[in-house]
Amino acid sequence: MIRHTGGLIFRALSTLLIVLVIAFFITRIAYRNPAAMLAPRNASQQAIDAIAHALRLNEPWYLQLWYYLYRGPDIQGAPMGIAHWPPALGYSFRKQTPVTDLILSKVPVTLSLALGAVVIWMTLSILLGVIAARRQGSWLDRLISGFAYASLSVPTFLSGILISYFLFFQLSNHGVFWFPSSGYVPLTKDPFEWARHLALPWLTLALAEIGIFQQLIRASMLEVLGEDYIRTARAKGVPEWRVYYDHALKAALNPVITLGGLELAVIMGGAIVTETIFGLDGVGRLAINSALEGDFPVVIGTTIFAAASFVFCTFAVDITTRWRDPASLS
Amino acid sequence: MPEIRALASVQDHVLLGHGEVVNSYRSLLLRALLRERSFRIGALIIGFVTAGALLAPVVAWLLGHGVTEQFRDTALTEMGLPTGPTFEFPLGADGNGRDVLVRTLYGARVSLAIAIPATTLAMIIGTAIGLVSGFLAGRVDRVISQAVDVALSFPFIVTALSLLSLNRGVDGKPFVAPSLVVVLIITLFSWTYFARLTRGLVFVLRRSPLVEAAQTIGASKARIIMREILPNIAPVILVYWAVQLPTNIIAEATLSFLGVGVQAPQPSWGNMIAEAQRSSLYQLQPWFLLGPGIALFLTVAGFNTLSAGLRNVLDPHRRSG
Repeated sequence: MIRHTGGLIFRALSTLLIVLVIAFFITRIAYRNPAAMLAPRNASQQAIDAIAHALRLNEPWYLQLWYYLYRGPDIQGAPMGIAHWPPALGYSFRKQTPVTDLILSKVPVTLSLALGAVVIWMTLSILLGVIAARRQGSWLDRLISGFAYASLSVPTFLSGILISYFLFFQLSNHGVFWFPSSGYVPLTKDPFEWARHLALPWLTLALAEIGIFQQLIRASMLEVLGEDYIRTARAKGVPEWRVYYDHALKAALNPVITLGGLELAVIMGGAIVTETIFGLDGVGRLAINSALEGDFPVVIGTTIFAAASFVFCTFAVDITTRWRDPASLS
Repeated sequence: MPEIRALASVQDHVLLGHGEVVNSYRSLLLRALLRERSFRIGALIIGFVTAGALLAPVVAWLLGHGVTEQFRDTALTEMGLPTGPTFEFPLGADGNGRDVLVRTLYGARVSLAIAIPATTLAMIIGTAIGLVSGFLAGRVDRVISQAVDVALSFPFIVTALSLLSLNRGVDGKPFVAPSLVVVLIITLFSWTYFARLTRGLVFVLRRSPLVEAAQTIGASKARIIMREILPNIAPVILVYWAVQLPTNIIAEATLSFLGVGVQAPQPSWGNMIAEAQRSSLYQLQPWFLLGPGIALFLTVAGFNTLSAGLRNVLDPHRRSG
């Protein structure tokens, strides 16, 4: 177990390192003359040169890469290099902020978005999946499956627009102001407003996932329900709801955890579409805006952040599934 | 290996010659598929969408409306607002006075012309890599798995954006057509799916009697991979081609929606929906959104249904319902 975990950590770290190197090269080649892109409009040549100098753009590429991978000279008083804690990912001239601070300031929004959506889609998928498995072949099962397939076929940008059209625009047209169309209120400030502002984005993200997860849980449940220990539990007189929600679900949840971790990772890395439609200032919007502006230190930073959340989630999934399966411990 | 067992059972059927006539494997498979309701429905929808894509120029000619042609006199009201569905504009017009129906049909061409090559390319690359990784195992497999991890870790949209600007030359002109870059980007982000799938299938087969027999007669590794393993896993991989295709259609539409994929004025469902959203006109005139929205939904739902049917027949283990 310990050896396995060590191997996983080594692999995770090497993945992150390779991602950093590739992201560095892609952005450095893609954004020609980044200093000019970062400088304010009508900036003098001297100002552009000063930015290029501060970002060490004139030094050879291997030195620049080394500054990222280990330690570099301070930029505007901000440290540089991932040997720091927290890893210093450079300095954004556009935002006049160190990249790490910039990303960390957006994490609460993205985290709230991701975790809320996970809770909603998992609860609904489990309920709908178990009901469908229990009444396999009935009209209810077919109705739920139909809904699952339909929701699977709507891209988030379309469902997001439709949700904001019906639940924001049409409702407020009729004098019902339940859901705001955009904005974010921190949880610590006002939990109710926090949930109210995030309700529509949560719904959008959850809708995109329910289709897959409901089908997955249903299939997995049907497989488990044929096992001997389920028959044993029934024979012992365990109440039917416990057979389903306790005995069977526990075993059926393994593939759900695996896929759930991956989907959560992708959302953490930036639910760009949802954040764009609902005007949430999260990591995803930061990433796409800086990519459009050519703010390459932020692009590298957000790429690393997305990769790190992906690596972390796969790691967590691996540990969880191993921990849930006693056979792998011995 | 349920898929292979299923195929084998179909083959047994053929060999035993149920009924008077000994049917070929292909005709039995086709009959099994046609019995499958979701396959029939999916095929019907896909046929409909494909026909729409192929007939786009005919419709444009019949209506006399070009894809990018603007009819500011007839399609816009005096206020400058687009008209709703009329006889002349069956699905209404957009904010620039262009025909939504014609653009939606042309959008089908763009969508399929990007998603199909991208998925096919990803399938070829991913299968090749998965075959090598699964069969050779050991160090090669570790290196390839690491590469798959790296590819999966990259965030899709931001990386796509960087790769698109990579395509811009010094004078701002692209080196190759942007749609080609979109194909390559989608390929880059979906080969891992096929690589993992193939690797898993090969892992099971490489210790099977089939491969052992080939090894005994001294077949080379290349021969075993190409002649023994590949034909056995090919049907399953083709099924998952159909599973991945709708995902890639959504990927293209999402990129175009964010302005990263197919560029205006070339119509794509993604950028048409983006235009409707940006102008907020869809709130008053929803038909704007309806054309490309329904087309996108139909296409994706069609392929999802079709692939579910394919899976039910070729992979009975996952049978639903």
